[in-house]
Amino acid sequence: MKTRIRLFALVSLAIAISVVGLSCAPKKEVAKAMEPRSINVLLWDDPYPKALAEMLPEFTKATNITVNIEMLQPPQVLTKTAVSVTDTATDYDVVGIDEGNVPVFASLLLPFDQWAKGTVYPKTDPASITPKMYSIGTWNGVQLGVPINGNLYVWMTRKDLIENPTYRSQFKAKHGYDLGVPKTFKELLEMGTFFYENDIAAGFGPFNGGPAGVLSEAVFMWESFGTKFIDYTGGTFKVVLDEGKAVEGMEFYKKLMAISPKGAETMAHVERQAAFAADPKGVFSMFIWPAQIAAYEDPAKSLVAGKIAYSAPPAGPRGQAAVTGAWAIAIPKASKNKEAAAEFVYWWSSKAIADRLVQANTIPARTESLTDPAYASSKPQLAALAESMKVAASRPRFKEIGQVQDVVKKYWVQGITGAMPAKDAIQMIVKETNDILKKAGY
Amino acid sequence: MTMANRRKTITGAVMLFAALLLLIELYPIFITLLNGFRRDIVILSGQKFALSQLTLDSYALVFKNSQMMRAMGNSIVVGLFSTALSVGVGAMAAYGISRFKFRGRNALAYSFLVFRMLPQMSLVVALYMMFRQVGLRDTVFGITLAHSSFNVPYVIWMLIPFFTAVDKSYEEAAMVDGCTRWALFRLVFLPLVAPGLVVAAVFAFINSWNEFLYALILTGVKARTAPVAISSLIGGDTLTWGQMCAASTVMLTPVFVFTLAMQKFLIRGVAAGGVKG
Amino acid sequence: MTSSRRPATSPAGRVAARGTGGRGSPVPFLLPALLIVFAVLIFPIVFSFVVSMFDWPLSAGGGARVFVGVDNYKALVRDLEFWNSLKLQLGFIFIAIPLEILLGLAAALLLNREFQGGKVVRALILLPVFFLPVVSGMTWRFMLQPRYGALNNFLLALGAPEITWLGHPTFAYAAVIVQDIWRMWPFVFMLLYAGLAGIPTDVLEAAEIDGATFWKRLLRVILPLMYPTILTALLLRIIDALRIFSEVYVMTEGGPGMATTLFSLYTHRQAFGYMKVGMSSAMAIFLLVISIAFAVTLVRKNMSLERLEDQGGSR
Repeated sequence: MKTRIRLFALVSLAIAISVVGLSCAPKKEVAKAMEPRSINVLLWDDPYPKALAEMLPEFTKATNITVNIEMLQPPQVLTKTAVSVTDTATDYDVVGIDEGNVPVFASLLLPFDQWAKGTVYPKTDPASITPKMYSIGTWNGVQLGVPINGNLYVWMTRKDLIENPTYRSQFKAKHGYDLGVPKTFKELLEMGTFFYENDIAAGFGPFNGGPAGVLSEAVFMWESFGTKFIDYTGGTFKVVLDEGKAVEGMEFYKKLMAISPKGAETMAHVERQAAFAADPKGVFSMFIWPAQIAAYEDPAKSLVAGKIAYSAPPAGPRGQAAVTGAWAIAIPKASKNKEAAAEFVYWWSSKAIADRLVQANTIPARTESLTDPAYASSKPQLAALAESMKVAASRPRFKEIGQVQDVVKKYWVQGITGAMPAKDAIQMIVKETNDILKKAGY
Repeated sequence: MTMANRRKTITGAVMLFAALLLLIELYPIFITLLNGFRRDIVILSGQKFALSQLTLDSYALVFKNSQMMRAMGNSIVVGLFSTALSVGVGAMAAYGISRFKFRGRNALAYSFLVFRMLPQMSLVVALYMMFRQVGLRDTVFGITLAHSSFNVPYVIWMLIPFFTAVDKSYEEAAMVDGCTRWALFRLVFLPLVAPGLVVAAVFAFINSWNEFLYALILTGVKARTAPVAISSLIGGDTLTWGQMCAASTVMLTPVFVFTLAMQKFLIRGVAAGGVKG
Repeated sequence: MTSSRRPATSPAGRVAARGTGGRGSPVPFLLPALLIVFAVLIFPIVFSFVVSMFDWPLSAGGGARVFVGVDNYKALVRDLEFWNSLKLQLGFIFIAIPLEILLGLAAALLLNREFQGGKVVRALILLPVFFLPVVSGMTWRFMLQPRYGALNNFLLALGAPEITWLGHPTFAYAAVIVQDIWRMWPFVFMLLYAGLAGIPTDVLEAAEIDGATFWKRLLRVILPLMYPTILTALLLRIIDALRIFSEVYVMTEGGPGMATTLFSLYTHRQAFGYMKVGMSSAMAIFLLVISIAFAVTLVRKNMSLERLEDQGGSR
């Protein structure tokens, strides 16, 4: 029996090793299909790709290419991309990649300048992409994907609250200036505290969801207080966080937490939406990813549809920042339908489609559509988006960002909830991030 | 107090206890059921229940969602096939382990158990690579096979007690009649352990029905099962609470009916395999 | 000891209990199961073992995979989060499962009698087992929300302080455990109830007439008879508890901090958050070693085939 077990183990080992070897070894290019007819696409699940999916029949009619779109929640998109896209094989001809993960997958993506020319639709002109969004599709100076949505922090303020005459006079009597869309952190805190203390509404809606989201909030605070987190200087990544300024930012967020709804320490998108749009009292002011505006303006889901004023985020004492969180659309090197895949992306990023996506309350990354005066009155969020674009800031990006995000989330949440002094929390973030960077060889 | 009176009091207390237990235990399921008939805005604003809130909108959306319907269909097919496969194969193995005397059979039985303990996370990448090589990715057969990987050991361990419980006299009589081992298994043992097969089938079906991670990684649009489809209604950015509740109520119905129908066998089945008086 | 549970521990009895074992070959019966298990279970495990000795970034080409020997294991041993996740996982098992067994046993004992609506009650109690784990996690997350969470409001009414349950490390961990108990104790109940129903009533009645108190009957008669069933329930629950994932992930994402990052969630994070498949595989192999140790000690002693045969074959 023992020998048999040993034999069995040996055989298993041999098979496993050979499979590992096979999957490592480069494979010969398989002859391309003559007429690509069908492509598989992996996208994140939100109103934007859903609106696109409804227009697909037109694309198929024009090009004879069938598109199978698979939509999943963002973390699952990452998981599936990681498993099913390699350098030799891929299940998807087009993948949506969250901006933070572009470096992670960079080596597996076909550089944009190698994308084929379109036969039906012209190749996307990089100049048509909103400049602030362009960089999210690039890594190490190479454009790898087409930034497709103009997702960055936009600020929402409850119009009905700031226009209420009683509140206006009360507030003015106390603070000497008019209620309005908060333009600075000081105004945000004062107005928010006013609504919170008078039990009219919560003052602020924090975001304490997934690690990527918490990193955005931290970067938002740090940039507003005048410090960057990680910088790429001298050919390497370095933590450049100024401790004093970072602590100030964290302390300010802590004050905002105090005027937030109960349960603020676990508020992810779902809870924020419930607090802002479904709670009878609601929230005075908070950031939103424009991708979600459609849900906040849907009367079936929201008590505040039509009552939201959009603007750029308020400015901090030493800066103003709107954190970007957009998706780039890329083609894996291993795709066997690169032409058809490119055709699909060109169609998607065309002016005609972008216009219709704007009408569906979503935000494409195409400048002409975002600034088209035709939508100025019906889509108030577009003007706010343009303002936000002027102060766009990005989270740091590199391969190990997943670990850094976790570190930031762990200590940021402890810091802003008072479980740890802000100073210690910031020091731990710096220390552990440095450890990760060092281990990664930067 | 007489014995009969005492009995009555005890039964009354038990019924009270049962009612209380059900109230607590079923509360989350009850609100899910209810919220399937209410609009998102009503659910999230924490409004008190009123008859006027009831609507079939969420159900309409779920039934109109062709991907969701397809996923539920897949779930049923995968559940049934993987149950059939694992119960069939598992019963044979349980028979082989419990009615044959060979060296290392304990070790064999334990290894089925041990391998079943690993988190799926650590197996799924390898499985994915293998499935892609042999073209099983995103096929109903592939995910059926994957579900069988955790169901086969489960079934074996549930059935071993049933097979060991069968009296040797049946076996001897049949052997004298010149039965082959296979005929013995099929004609004598399977009918005798039938209750056990039902128990194993119910548990295997539940396992497959609830499975998430393999379904997420190993399937795409074609073979996706319901847990993956439903999870896209609730995660990250989207909030379609009513639809999630409607879909999970729909998901709950067939398994519940199935188990209710099987309850008679189920109870008898587990009893036969569990404790012998 | 009851008459029907005649011990068959004599060597002769034991051989007899195994029936005609020995004649014929078991291989045809074992082969299909072995084939499936080899293909979809053992092969991935061996693969994991090989991968665990590589620095294997999930999201890069084959060229990026480097053989590192036991470095992953060394890194693991030094990783505090790893030990923390193991501790949380074991704590989860040690707290949740005994409670599930106790609850299941108590309910089985109490409901083991005929009363009106008994069948419906026993069927309804099983509903949570069929509740999709993802949905269960989400439902609990919402029930625990301050302001509109139903369970939170109920606890407030009972006089509990206002707490963001899932935002507090201890309470979040407790919530995850309670969720699992809620969902899985009916599973234990089903097994134990059936086991109890299998004890002949004359055995129970005999003890009752003898004047034995309830506790005496429980300890001397019922529990010994139910021993194998309880062990089966324990074993099946431990197996499943080691793989718990989606409900916790949906409920807390492993947070706050790392407070609910159980072993299985940490494996997931290593593989799909940090893209380190090598590390995640090393964790799996580590767990495999623990499982084997568990199987050859506890399980072997209490649930060997011979022991089952002694109890079953002698009827």
